[in-house]
Amino acid sequence: MRILSQRTTSASRVMMMCVAVCGLGLAGCDDQGGDPAKQIGANPVLPEPQQYLLPPMRIARIAHWGEGETPAVPQGLQIRAVAKDLEHPRTVYALPNGDVLVVEANGPKAPINRPKDLIMGWVQSLAGANAKGGNRITLLRGVDGNKPGLRTVFLDHLNSPFGVALVGQNLYVANTDAIIRYPYTDGQTTITAAATKLTDLPGGPIDHHWTKSLLASPDGSKLYVGVGSNSNITENGIQAEYERAAIWEVDIRSGAHRIFASGLRNPTALQWEPQSGKLWAVANERDELGPDLVPDYLTSVQDGAFYGWPYSYYGQHVDPRVEPQRPDLVAKAIAPDYALSSHVAPLGLAMYSGGDFPAKFRSGAFVGEHGSWDRNPLNGYKVVFVPFADGKPSGPAQDFVTGFLNADNQARGRPVGLAFDRSGGLLIADDLGNTVWRVSSASTASAAKSTP
Amino acid sequence: MGDNNPAAATTTSGFAIHPLLAPFPLAFFLGAFVTDLIYWRAPDAMWETFSVWLITAGLIMAGLSVVAALIDVVGGQHRTPALAPAWPHALVTAVAFVLALINAFVHSRDGYTAVVPTGLILSGLVVAILLCAAVWTGREAAYRHRVGALN
Repeated sequence: MRILSQRTTSASRVMMMCVAVCGLGLAGCDDQGGDPAKQIGANPVLPEPQQYLLPPMRIARIAHWGEGETPAVPQGLQIRAVAKDLEHPRTVYALPNGDVLVVEANGPKAPINRPKDLIMGWVQSLAGANAKGGNRITLLRGVDGNKPGLRTVFLDHLNSPFGVALVGQNLYVANTDAIIRYPYTDGQTTITAAATKLTDLPGGPIDHHWTKSLLASPDGSKLYVGVGSNSNITENGIQAEYERAAIWEVDIRSGAHRIFASGLRNPTALQWEPQSGKLWAVANERDELGPDLVPDYLTSVQDGAFYGWPYSYYGQHVDPRVEPQRPDLVAKAIAPDYALSSHVAPLGLAMYSGGDFPAKFRSGAFVGEHGSWDRNPLNGYKVVFVPFADGKPSGPAQDFVTGFLNADNQARGRPVGLAFDRSGGLLIADDLGNTVWRVSSASTASAAKSTP
Repeated sequence: MGDNNPAAATTTSGFAIHPLLAPFPLAFFLGAFVTDLIYWRAPDAMWETFSVWLITAGLIMAGLSVVAALIDVVGGQHRTPALAPAWPHALVTAVAFVLALINAFVHSRDGYTAVVPTGLILSGLVVAILLCAAVWTGREAAYRHRVGALN
């Protein structure tokens, strides 16, 4: 009896040690992210995937923009707030008459599917990502100082809207579950007319990546819609991914759609590249494989192409977390054009299309990197500029707007959507600072000083 | 034997609470092992979701059960030689619960590797340890030392 209990005790001691060693082994390796510069451009360095008990995480606690504090811009440029106290602004959209629409929204309430969701909800609230969205669109007039300032509620009571596109006299709004259409006339400051639904979009009940970005074709016959995946890596079931992680092409007359491109985990900020006329997008790649996997990217979007999600990333790098695997699809997967480095969470894209920025910023893409908590040290939380030549990226990304993090690595703001206004100013939606910023050439300072 | 059987400190209307709670973790963890096995053979995310909730429920019941056991030890009339086998039982159970906690983290991964292979192995190990512990120490305590039994 005594011998037996002693044996049990020593057996359990051995087991305890095993547990401790396992625990350390699984949680302790490679927690710190490397130099993001190695993952910028066409050929990012991709380390081996890691699996964790607790994925590395770094939450940027919330600070606030103090009086007179702004993000920082390169020499020759200036930045100022053109609207404050918004409700989670995500998208900025410039109307042809110079008015600017600001889409204020956040995702619908996420269901608790697993115990992890309770913890993630808490993490998000620490990072300020759970703030209530306005579910509305605000109109700003005179942001470039050329007209008297005006701010009105343009559209209200929307359902987690994100994308906006004006085609002729029709304004299309992408709610999280449908594209709706409103009649619009030039100069209108508020819309009271009822909406007409063009088509449903994949929405609830899970709606993990809820944003639906919108871009009209130049001839106004098609709408392109970025539809994000319904999970990180199919943990909500492959059934939940039907027609998601894709860019839809919607016929504007009938509302019928086809999948233009697929395998893009969370494509947002669709834009036309002015020189080539090609469709470009930024996409958020998968999490929990390590601080340096998988790089988010900027890419041209080819008709009919498959970009890998969920089965593989950057071409044929198979993700072990997806079962059953699909070697047939992996074989078809193509790599995106340009890596932005890991966990920067790009959500905004604007192609330079004329204005008076310093010469070195006149050909290329501006990318709004929202930043995330999936990496230590933090990455993103800035707007970068990717130079283009002949319609393609031609060099490393440069910091363009910084200072969203303060000296203590607390987030004062997080950039999301970008757009150029009629006068060539770059507008930045900041959903943590609840602000819209405007970057303009310092030489036009006098005209822009009169704040609306 | 004129003396009374050892009483449990945590009781409700005279019924011992620890023996009432003690089977729950094993039952939940066994359920998780079964849903893990199904997921392994037919990886539908639903089974993994079942598993992680079952493991979580098992851990919650394990926590309550440990609290009841501690109260029994500290507050009961238990410090008798009769309770000697409670210590190996407690240690083995603690190992199983720590493994189950690690298993909850493994099961919180996204996708297939939440279960295969680490999660599945841990689920099986936890069940095996708790079964052995239950068979051995349960028999010792109840039948030899009559813990919680009526006088």
